[in-house]
Amino acid sequence: MSRHIQMTVNGQQVGPVEVPEGLKMIEFLHEYLNLTGTKFGCGVGVCHACTVIVEGKNGVSEVVRSCISGVERFAGKKVRTIEGHAKRNEAGEITELSPVQMAFLEHFSFQCGWCTSGFVNETTALMERLAKNPVAVSDVEQVVEEALKEHICRCTGYVKYYQGVKALILNTRGLTY
Amino acid sequence: MKATNISRCRRFFRRLQTALMAFFLLAGISQIQAAQDQETLIKQGKYLAEIGDCVACHTPQGGRELSGGLPFETPFGIVYSTNITSDKETGIGHYSYRDFYRAMHEGISPDGNLYPAMPYTSYHLLTEQDTRALYAYFMNTKPVRQENKASEIGFPFNIRMGLKAWNLMNHKDGEFTPDPAKSDSWNRGSYLVNVLGHCGECHTPRDATFAMRPEAHFQGAVLDTFEASDITPQELNRQNWTHEDLRQLFTRGYSRKGTVFGGMYPVVYHSYSHLTEQDMRAVTSYLLDNEADIAEQPLTFNGHDKQAPGYNLYMGYCAGCHGQDGEGRPHVAPALAGNATLDRSSAFNAVSLLLNGIVSQHYNSTTSFYAMPAYADKFDDRQLTDLVNYMRTTWTSQKADIRLSAVAEIRINMKQSLH
Repeated sequence: MSRHIQMTVNGQQVGPVEVPEGLKMIEFLHEYLNLTGTKFGCGVGVCHACTVIVEGKNGVSEVVRSCISGVERFAGKKVRTIEGHAKRNEAGEITELSPVQMAFLEHFSFQCGWCTSGFVNETTALMERLAKNPVAVSDVEQVVEEALKEHICRCTGYVKYYQGVKALILNTRGLTY
Repeated sequence: MKATNISRCRRFFRRLQTALMAFFLLAGISQIQAAQDQETLIKQGKYLAEIGDCVACHTPQGGRELSGGLPFETPFGIVYSTNITSDKETGIGHYSYRDFYRAMHEGISPDGNLYPAMPYTSYHLLTEQDTRALYAYFMNTKPVRQENKASEIGFPFNIRMGLKAWNLMNHKDGEFTPDPAKSDSWNRGSYLVNVLGHCGECHTPRDATFAMRPEAHFQGAVLDTFEASDITPQELNRQNWTHEDLRQLFTRGYSRKGTVFGGMYPVVYHSYSHLTEQDMRAVTSYLLDNEADIAEQPLTFNGHDKQAPGYNLYMGYCAGCHGQDGEGRPHVAPALAGNATLDRSSAFNAVSLLLNGIVSQHYNSTTSFYAMPAYADKFDDRQLTDLVNYMRTTWTSQKADIRLSAVAEIRINMKQSLH
């Protein structure tokens, strides 16, 4: 049986679109919207490579693993994927990367890049949380560890990811005190 | 000296030599025998201590085995388990057998009355032989020097003399009495479950003085965030638990009826997974009150009601791990068809699991279950009610009769128990 789903993805209204029952969000992004930047990793919600951002209650962003979440979970919600971070011009060309993307570039954070979209989304959501609730400088390392610890990088490039995020938080006004 | 005297003397010394040799030989043999007996006794005690699950309560998070210090929330404050290694100063290494016996049977240690958090109300039925074996084992555990933590029980419950009155009201020492109408195996199971396994301590509701209510034996009780299930034979047989289901649950932590969680995980991990095959059958025979094999009924799946409000919630949040049709994924998430947590009149555990999630569970190098996230912040009471009712009607024969007010009450209780 099919169902009609609609949501907002990266600021664009999507649907109502007819989808089969049991469709996972990652399949919806790949097959229906051609947004292939979200990567399918373990398929059981463990590696967090497939993480996307959903606008939660009171405007607070939450991260959701799209490989284990049915598309119904996102009905009527605002979703951001890796394709929604960089600024683009009218022709659709990228003109500016987000601060998180820049931080990972500057720190040579990724190797094969499969896990990168998950790390970018998780870090972006973290930055937004910290903008609302800043933390003490002394706690930054722990906060970063807490936010990123579930993300698996099979190239084991954790150090550069963590360094990049830590530097970004410390250098962004308003996130720490 | 005359020749006869010399030969008499020689004979005497030869006899003495033979006698001495025989004495030392026999002494040596009896020493070896004693050592062997002691070794057997320690081994037996180790097995009994495993089935008694002493490690689970007496090992602090990330700490040394049996060294105590694990906190227990009671209605009166926090009690910490004690060091029960053989350390003579901080543990129980200085206990005489009598001291040990009194602690296990009467709840009285050389330092005073024990709080009934130590299940002497179950252990008191231990046989003399088993108590001796346990004593032999504990006196030979690796000593760990770790001071005991003082309990944080408020006045007047911190006065241990009060426990004497509690014992007078609620505790009577005695030995396990087998039921002559039942088989040896059933009685062995009863002994393992009621005495060493002290299952009644969690699975039996308590009265106003927090003593187990004998008339409600094994009918289930709420413990903070989870409800220890009704494990009466009537309920287990109604849910079509078989000997094999229980064996799998107790050895691997999961069966076709679901996985263990909360306080049952350490019980399986440290304790019941070590049961011998014979004892396991005794335990399952007792719990099911049936020694014959039980036929496995097909698991319930009533099909999806796509108009039900819980359907979208299930597909969006749960189907990824538990399967589109509730079939589950091996080593990731249990199946929901016939799931024991859903298939009960009380929705307490179904709601509390959704609110609190489950931590990941590891059994061996090839068997682990992933953590289930907590949805307390994701679902409101209406959504929780819809989801639980949906799952119950889809995968069990229970009705969609869970009310919004009942779910709201569970959430409030949960907040209180989690502070």
